[in-house]
Amino acid sequence: MSATATSPGRERRRQAGVLGFLIRRSPVALALVALFLLAASIGPIVAPHSMTDTNLAMALQGPSAEHWLGTDPLGRDVLSRLLGASRVAAQAFLIVVLLGGVIGTTLGLIAGGRGGIVDLLVSRITEILQGFPTILVAIVIVALLSPSLTNAMIAVGLAAVPDFARVSRSVAIQLRDREFVDAARGLGASELRILWSEILPNMIGPLVVVASFDGAQAVLWEASLSFLGLGVQPPAPSFGSMLREAQSFLAIQPSLAIVVGLAVSGFILGLNLLGDALGEYFQKPGRNI
Amino acid sequence: MGTYLLGRMLGGLATLICVSALAFFATALAPGNPAAVLLGNMATPERVEAVTRQMGLDQPLPTRYLIWLRETVQGNLGTSNLSFKPVNDLLMTALPPTLQLAFSSLIIAVVIALPIGLLLAQNERRWWSRPVSALITVGISVPGFWVGLLLIITFSVWLKLLPSAGYVPLSRGVWGNFRSMILPVLTLTIYLVPPLVRFVRMTALEVLREGYVDTARAKGVKPSAILMRHVAPNTMITTVTYIGLQLGVLISGAIVIEVIFSIPGLGRLGMNAVLNRDYPVIQGVVLVAACGYVLVNLLIDLAYVLIDPRVRTQ
Repeated sequence: MSATATSPGRERRRQAGVLGFLIRRSPVALALVALFLLAASIGPIVAPHSMTDTNLAMALQGPSAEHWLGTDPLGRDVLSRLLGASRVAAQAFLIVVLLGGVIGTTLGLIAGGRGGIVDLLVSRITEILQGFPTILVAIVIVALLSPSLTNAMIAVGLAAVPDFARVSRSVAIQLRDREFVDAARGLGASELRILWSEILPNMIGPLVVVASFDGAQAVLWEASLSFLGLGVQPPAPSFGSMLREAQSFLAIQPSLAIVVGLAVSGFILGLNLLGDALGEYFQKPGRNI
Repeated sequence: MGTYLLGRMLGGLATLICVSALAFFATALAPGNPAAVLLGNMATPERVEAVTRQMGLDQPLPTRYLIWLRETVQGNLGTSNLSFKPVNDLLMTALPPTLQLAFSSLIIAVVIALPIGLLLAQNERRWWSRPVSALITVGISVPGFWVGLLLIITFSVWLKLLPSAGYVPLSRGVWGNFRSMILPVLTLTIYLVPPLVRFVRMTALEVLREGYVDTARAKGVKPSAILMRHVAPNTMITTVTYIGLQLGVLISGAIVIEVIFSIPGLGRLGMNAVLNRDYPVIQGVVLVAACGYVLVNLLIDLAYVLIDPRVRTQ
């Protein structure tokens, strides 16, 4: 990264152009994510039918003028339930990114800013957390508490901690001896203040990239854990629980599983593409590989 | 090299201790008295108290953890609250299908992903490079269990070629076992390949920028020979470590896929246990999976020493 690339003035100018860059570089990502946000925010309000009212006489119908995407095994409107499931997925996204982001960034900032034994300790902790089967953590948490969206997402949030920690640590290490940080130090700023107001603002870009990828993971995990029955509980709609219900009727109404899967895949794809494009924009891919 | 391995082993041990504590306390702190659960409708206050003492549940928590740890290390994982069978036996019957599913998928995935990743790195500017990369991003985004459902729709519902669920053990015929494992293994492979290709491609791109590749090029070595002799081995070394780190993904994927295809493996055992609050079985499954995770990573560190001379001489 060149010296000017991270100076605050240049950074601000570049951020002003981020939307323009995304429109040019990755319109598909932008469209998918916008659709996702729209569905999650106003979806439950504009949903044409109730998400939970069952009507067995109307079960497993194909698409029609009344039910655009058909009905599920209990006769509920699939489109309405998909809109509700989008909100659940967005909640999963928020929980994971907030939990992983706050803990991970704090750990990474402290480790990178202080160095030494603290750094070693934090690196070891994140190394153990990284890659440890998320599903096992989810199983233990759900066994201890109870199956719910929040409990399942705590496990996924913990899995996101190392990603945020790794990126914020590396940026903190790059920046801690730079001139503007030294200048702040010379003016008598405390280490905490330096981390908060000098170093943190400069890692927003890479952190947004990580949030995008880990958000995609959050939606994916929400669907997987709800599919297994560890996440969202019926009758609340979720991509995972809808696919679980659809599996029993694959022979009768395969379109149900296809439609729900397309929706959730589209959202995850949007977030992943957004992460790719933002990584390119910030030129420092904190890519979640 | 000795300190390197020692450090790795200590790290693995630390992970196992953390996991065992997690598995134990999750059970110990969970609501409900196991003694009362065990007695069922024969429970009277006196009996519950007697069994509580007999099971050592009146001891302080740290003491109970140490007792439990001693039993566990000796291989005694208790009995299931649900089927009253020893947890050891349940794990032993559940392990073979899971191992078969996980390892066959992993091997196939590596065999597919390595050449694709290497070719993508070498031919970055070819016309097919971009669409293939886009396909990989799509592959990363698609939930593995949905791929499983699509395969069931295609091969079981429409073409009626393969069973949609169920598991035939090897002991009951190789052909039946093979048929019952095609769709699960295919699903897990499709789930594993895209991130692997992405990683191999990225690593190979880095290797291609190394000085020894330039030297080989300057000597006039053919591009295909450079790829096979210099890039591939060096990419492999890093990829092996990556696979170890991604073992969690493999375990998670295997669990979900077992549930879809009704394979009586570790994942389904664990899932049933969680939904029925069968704590000894949950502990057993978590411990076995965690041990597998730590063990394979240790083996990979060991393999690292064997295959990479740079680590050996350090």
